[in-house]
Amino acid sequence: MPEPRLIDGRDLQPPEPLELALAELATLAPGEELVLLLRCEPLPLYSILERNGFGYRAKLRPDGTNEVRIQKV
Amino acid sequence: MQPTLSFEQAPPISVPYRFFLTAPLFGAVAGLILAALGPETFQSRWSPGALAMTHLIVVDFMLQAMCGSLLQFVAVVAGANIWRPRLVAAVVHPVITAGAIFLASAFLLQQQVLFLVAAAVFVIALGMFLTVMAIALLRTPARGMSIYVLRVAVLGLLVTVGLGATLALTLGLEEHLQTDWSLIALINVHVAWGLGGWALMLVIGVSYLVVPMFQLTPSYPVWLTRLLPAGLLLALCLWSLQLVAPNAAAQAWQSGVALAGVLLAGWYAATTLWLQSRRRRRQTDATFLFWRGAMLSLLAFTLSWIAFEALPQLGGNLRAPLWLGVLVIPGLFLCVITGMLYKIMPFLNWLHLQQQGGTVTTSPNMKQMISERAMRGQMWLHFTALGLLLAAVLMPTLALPAGLAFTASCLWLEWNLVGAARVYVRFRDRIRAAAGRAVQADQP
Repeated sequence: MPEPRLIDGRDLQPPEPLELALAELATLAPGEELVLLLRCEPLPLYSILERNGFGYRAKLRPDGTNEVRIQKV
Repeated sequence: MQPTLSFEQAPPISVPYRFFLTAPLFGAVAGLILAALGPETFQSRWSPGALAMTHLIVVDFMLQAMCGSLLQFVAVVAGANIWRPRLVAAVVHPVITAGAIFLASAFLLQQQVLFLVAAAVFVIALGMFLTVMAIALLRTPARGMSIYVLRVAVLGLLVTVGLGATLALTLGLEEHLQTDWSLIALINVHVAWGLGGWALMLVIGVSYLVVPMFQLTPSYPVWLTRLLPAGLLLALCLWSLQLVAPNAAAQAWQSGVALAGVLLAGWYAATTLWLQSRRRRRQTDATFLFWRGAMLSLLAFTLSWIAFEALPQLGGNLRAPLWLGVLVIPGLFLCVITGMLYKIMPFLNWLHLQQQGGTVTTSPNMKQMISERAMRGQMWLHFTALGLLLAAVLMPTLALPAGLAFTASCLWLEWNLVGAARVYVRFRDRIRAAAGRAVQADQP
């Protein structure tokens, strides 16, 4: 398994983390994973992922960070 | 409080944009009125020019921008269903535009019939807007202080419109048909609900979400998020008692109530500045600086109010209310509105283009929608105009340069917003053309 790609968007202004995530998704290989760390829940991203054939798992870390793990389906 | 945004409910982009793109134009007209009428406008708050200017700004600039933002914000933040947003915008936008023109003309021309027409028009347009907004905000399953404060703000607009319509009827009807309420008390309560119960309440409710999210600051303390709107609402209710008890004894404690409300507003400004000083990223942008300018204006308003209370010979000057008005209207509210428009329009452009193009089509990023240089240039012109307006209160001979600077600032804002809308149209058309070519290529 390759190392997951990581975007720490916690100190970036919306929608910068989403812009970075979309740029990474364009080159994400099957089986590869993108991890996105955010302070808010990225609901607009979820609908974009669903429309474009990506799966995701989201969880809330104890420190309040939203961790979203994205893979190509 | 975990901030979440739901864009599935977002209304079509044309709904907020029609409000945003007309709002600055009326600010430009207000500046021209000041420039044309000159020093007499700033002799007192009761001059026809000052009244016309004020209503053009608070109704046609502020209210337009706030209605447009609220239609978007309530759907996105509260996940609320707005009933037929296209229809609501198509009715409310032109009708409140016309109503403000009637009202400003009524003040300038002192025509009774125009007050009556303006009252009727506002009741129709804002009655529809308030009904739709109240239903959406009451039915939403979303919780959080922002939602509660937005509900209070909508109540504030309802009271403001009701009192404003009563005032317009009072000015437009024969004496025997007028209300028994004192005209001054009506004006005092109308102004307090308009600026404090509606506009400031809306800014407070929105700031709980957007200041931490876009300016990367810590969140507002939870206890303060409850205390501020509750305290302001209580102060407004007590202040409104002057309608039923307009005697000298009541005036003493009413000035205490007003001071309490103003101190709460100052507390909010100081807290926001404190949060800004603790932001996690040191970079600043035009939105951040506009918010800082707005909060400094609100602090200056609070300190001026205290000085006017402490020094009656200063507070009794006919131009003292104009000083306060400039600090709070172009100072506080227009700074917040402009700063937010510079964030909202690029964000909506980006979002709607993404929704049309997915991850495949390249859309411009946020920074390409309106250049930071153009936003900062307009911001410094606005701050210059604000300084000139304050100077013109002290020296009314400066009315001409102050009015022209304010007009220029509003026109530059309009130019920047139109530029953002044109970027959206250009990239939307490219996405559609690319989609059309892809469909043709797929056909055998």
